[in-house]
Amino acid sequence: MKLKLNEKDISILKVVSQVAGGFILVVALTMIFSLVQLKTINPLDNPVLLSVKDQYDKDPANAAKAEQVRAMDLMARKAYFSSRWQVETGSYLLLAGAIIFIFCQRLISDNEKLNPVLPCAKKDSSFQQKRNRRYLIATASVISLTAIVASFVLRNDLPDPPGQSGTSANVEAKGKETAPKPDKTNFPFFRGQDSRGIAGGSGYPTEWDGIAGKNIEWKIEIPKQGQSSPVIWGDKIFITGAKDKECEVYCINKKTGDILWIGSASNIPGEPTVLPKVDQDAGLAASTVATNGKEVCAVFANGNLICFNMDGKKKWAKNIGVPENSYGYSSSLVIYENLLLVQYDSEKKISLIGFDIETGDQKWETIRQGHTVWSSPVLAYFDGKPQLIINGNPKVSSYDPSTGKELWAVDCMSGDVAPSIAVNSTMAYAVTDYAKLAAIKPGTGASIIWEDNTYTPDVSSPVANDEFLFISTGNGDVACYNPEKGDTLWTHYFMDQFYASPIIADDMVYLLDRSGVMHIVKAKSEFQLVAESSLGESTDCTPAFSDKKIYIRGKKNLYCISKN
Amino acid sequence: MKKALPYIIFVLLLCWHAVLYAQDRFPRPEFESGYVYPTNQMPTQRAPVWEYFDVAVLISALIVSTWLALKKRSRQGLIWMSVFSLAYFGFYRQGCICSVGSVQNVALALFNDGYTIPLSALLFFIIPLLFALAYGRVFCAGVCPLGAIQELTGFMPVKLPKTVEIILASVPFIYLTLAVLFASTNSQFIICRYDPFVGIFRLDATYTMIIFGVLLLLAGIFVNRPYCRYLCPYGVLLNVFSRFAGKHLTITPAECTNCRLCEEACPYDAIIPSDTDQNREEPEKSRKRFILYFLLIPLFAITGAYILYYLAPALSGVNGDVRLAREIRMEKETEIESVSKAMVAFKESGKTEIELFAEEEIIISRFKKASPWAGAFLGISFGIGMISLTIRSKRSEYKPHQGRCFSCGRCFKYCPIKVQTQNEA
Repeated sequence: MKLKLNEKDISILKVVSQVAGGFILVVALTMIFSLVQLKTINPLDNPVLLSVKDQYDKDPANAAKAEQVRAMDLMARKAYFSSRWQVETGSYLLLAGAIIFIFCQRLISDNEKLNPVLPCAKKDSSFQQKRNRRYLIATASVISLTAIVASFVLRNDLPDPPGQSGTSANVEAKGKETAPKPDKTNFPFFRGQDSRGIAGGSGYPTEWDGIAGKNIEWKIEIPKQGQSSPVIWGDKIFITGAKDKECEVYCINKKTGDILWIGSASNIPGEPTVLPKVDQDAGLAASTVATNGKEVCAVFANGNLICFNMDGKKKWAKNIGVPENSYGYSSSLVIYENLLLVQYDSEKKISLIGFDIETGDQKWETIRQGHTVWSSPVLAYFDGKPQLIINGNPKVSSYDPSTGKELWAVDCMSGDVAPSIAVNSTMAYAVTDYAKLAAIKPGTGASIIWEDNTYTPDVSSPVANDEFLFISTGNGDVACYNPEKGDTLWTHYFMDQFYASPIIADDMVYLLDRSGVMHIVKAKSEFQLVAESSLGESTDCTPAFSDKKIYIRGKKNLYCISKN
Repeated sequence: MKKALPYIIFVLLLCWHAVLYAQDRFPRPEFESGYVYPTNQMPTQRAPVWEYFDVAVLISALIVSTWLALKKRSRQGLIWMSVFSLAYFGFYRQGCICSVGSVQNVALALFNDGYTIPLSALLFFIIPLLFALAYGRVFCAGVCPLGAIQELTGFMPVKLPKTVEIILASVPFIYLTLAVLFASTNSQFIICRYDPFVGIFRLDATYTMIIFGVLLLLAGIFVNRPYCRYLCPYGVLLNVFSRFAGKHLTITPAECTNCRLCEEACPYDAIIPSDTDQNREEPEKSRKRFILYFLLIPLFAITGAYILYYLAPALSGVNGDVRLAREIRMEKETEIESVSKAMVAFKESGKTEIELFAEEEIIISRFKKASPWAGAFLGISFGIGMISLTIRSKRSEYKPHQGRCFSCGRCFKYCPIKVQTQNEA
């Protein structure tokens, strides 16, 4: 197969190779010249052509001039495509020249006389291996170090997602925050810790009878009615009531049921002289108070916002404007660090407002988009970031609770939105009647993971942990879902409507219907009824759980239920 | 200077890359005659039967190369085989389909349910590996167009220092890891995108790629097959498979006489000398070192996984959607409107930023899942590399290193036994 060449053949090959090289040189230079022309000259920018065109523009009726423009335009284009043709043809000529050149060079090099050099003394292979190991370790170390440095440097270069500027820096400074575990004593907001509907502690009663007094430790009549739910801090229960223009905050001894103090929330500057139109069932005191153990704050449907210390001394009060909407105001308060967070829903404006809890000064206000709703904000922690989530219409939106900046939003709700959001460690669940139940993957570019429209409550909020999602509806249906996939694990029809929100406590779900019957089921994948206990009084309020006792507000009375 | 002249000419001949500078650089003429421009025609897809023809050509070329390297022992034959492969797989098939790039198709198919790998791509991936397992790297010897163009232009081989060899030998592992990572996350086919020779095969490429290709070929005149040795990701797999080859090319057709004439013959440093005359390290010491490196492999794997996990967000920037999302953020922060083609296309697409950011999140999370595995692979490769530098088998003759040898047959002519046999014949 090998071509054996003599000296003469090699000389010929060298000449051929040189000719091919010269040919390549000429073609390459021509091509470079044509390329420069192609890339720098626009044929239609030819000054002569432009001048003729200019003349034609001034005298459009001149047919001869038009013909001249056409001819010159054609010539310019022809020149351009001629250059293109030169370059294209040149490339093939160049390729042919290259093949000849390489072929000759190969033949010349293959026929060069072999002159093997006998190497000097053999190298010690053990020494070589040792040296190679060192080089390999050094190489791997340098690569690893470069990768580590790059991971930091390039990470720092990554900009924050929109709407999160500063937030990530805050989180960085604070470290990743995680959701606080529900306390066994304190039940500080509507639906407890962070408004998530999960109670801390265990050993809660399952059986009682409000009429017979079974397991009822005490029962007191609330001076003024309201739909707000009780909250608890230490030994104190806080609840609100209102009659006509009189709005009040009650502090009740958790052990005895004695009213420790009554704080008036009326006659605040800016308060409307005429009572706002609210739904008769809701009243003025539908929003639940919030406490952090130092302050207790309440808001009423007339726009009065007030803050007391734990002993009932008023710290500050203001009227934030009547939240005008078709049913009245029912959003409950949440406290995050030193901020009192108010979800304000009025036909004139819907927003989220952060007030300094010490002074009542407004720190920020974020205008929300959409329509008024009657849900309450929920605190959640996703990827170590605290966020306040609101079930809105049409958007479920998340906000930085420190700054009020919107973190993400998902367009998925419609109609009258009263249920609040349910959250677990990875997802948020939004629902309302005549719309749907949507499982939302939070974060930048939040999206709906699954949805269902079989069981949709109109007032009661859903509750979720990482294993289950529970829904209690206004028809009396209760459904348990797989929170990750959306499969319905079980459903049960309980005959009466649910307005109060279910609470998960001690691996059980407490479902209080409107007639005052608490249905207690196991929080598991099969339906298992534990007990059904009647209060003997209708109620729409969500119960509070603290130190093995349950506190339920009926239409008139507040009950303390214990196992003994 | 006289000697360098051919290579200066060679640089010039590679300047043809910009020939297909095809775009509408100026407005089309306006015709008053009612002439209607024809619609742009897209070339029709190649008939599937031709894909199988390519596979048949690949198998045939591999068989011929194997015969030439192992049986016929013809370096010249392998050169002609390279010419054929360069012409067919390179210039005619324009470097696609290619076994080197098929690594990415396989990675994409393995980790993405939505992608079905074409059978031809799968065969192009598997067949050279099977041949490597049976006969060594005969694919590199005369079938791979990338190897062929370098083999044909490698006139004046010089040897690189060992230090440089070892440092650069780690690059293909990193390249393979990144190529698989990017392909499996559906981000980019970097092997194809940064193929230095495909621009030459297609007579069209970007300036940077053509310069890279030219530089590589220029370097390859002296440092032969630079792409194969220091970049080729498929070469990593061939290297591994070839180590277990049942039958491999030999330097000598008969018994090695340890004449040492071939010792410096291989420009790829793929000849391992006999060591019967050398002092050996104490076996106890070697064994302890072996056990140490063996036990350290999990640590290397974890370290690699850890480093790449933290590098994942940065690596995800390879993905077009992630880059676009970051561009949008930058646009918002700086309030300077971005006019990149990607941004213009995005704005015209009607896609929302929320959708894009959602996709970005998904892609980054995929990178975070996949990167530790890639890092673990690198760590394990490093550990195995260290072990291989600890093991010493007794060698009584000069043999090609089965992993590194390209079966190119350069060493044949250095063996006097062959010369003697031919003379006798």
